[in-house]
Amino acid sequence: MASIACSRINAINRLRCSIFQTSYNPTSVRTGAKYLRARLRGPSMVKYYPKEISIAKLIKEFPAMGWVNHAEEQRLQDLANLKARGKGAPKKTKKGEPSRRAKRKRKSG
Amino acid sequence: MHIRTRVLRDIKRRSTVQATEVVRRAYLYVARNQTLSPQIRHQAQLQLNTFPKDTRPATVKNRCTESGRGRGIMSEFGLCRFQFRLKARRSELAGVQKASW
Repeated sequence: MASIACSRINAINRLRCSIFQTSYNPTSVRTGAKYLRARLRGPSMVKYYPKEISIAKLIKEFPAMGWVNHAEEQRLQDLANLKARGKGAPKKTKKGEPSRRAKRKRKSG
Repeated sequence: MHIRTRVLRDIKRRSTVQATEVVRRAYLYVARNQTLSPQIRHQAQLQLNTFPKDTRPATVKNRCTESGRGRGIMSEFGLCRFQFRLKARRSELAGVQKASW
């Protein structure tokens, strides 16, 4: 079998690329095309966990149905009761302000 | 309930990855393209570096869809080994059978 000149093989490759509409890249330069060609992974990633149905979500989705989440109502009412009796959660400290504990220390000391 | 928290964190990561994927891909294309000028590629790489950590797909972890366990996951079923065993014995997994010979 006779050996074929390198230039002829290159010419054939170029012709092949033009026929099959692929890009001719003899030096294998990285064009970043693979990042555009690859499928997007996000849509399948989001679907991994099965969707959860909760009462709170249903109520939020369909406000027109007039459903009431009794457990949540009860929780809010209990919290309001606690607050009325002065047993609510302490206020959050603002940024830069000393904490409640530090303030108390300063008063006593 | 710390296992549930990690699942929620993973769900959040998945949605951020999906939201930023197209833009990230565009920057990746520019940054990895050797036919463009080094300045442009460097700019694109700097932009990529500004994205938060959770936008990278590598931060997403497949956890057990039943128990939220992070290790010993069988990817075909999305279950950890124990949940896989329980479900298989309840014959809830199609085509899975306890071996016996």
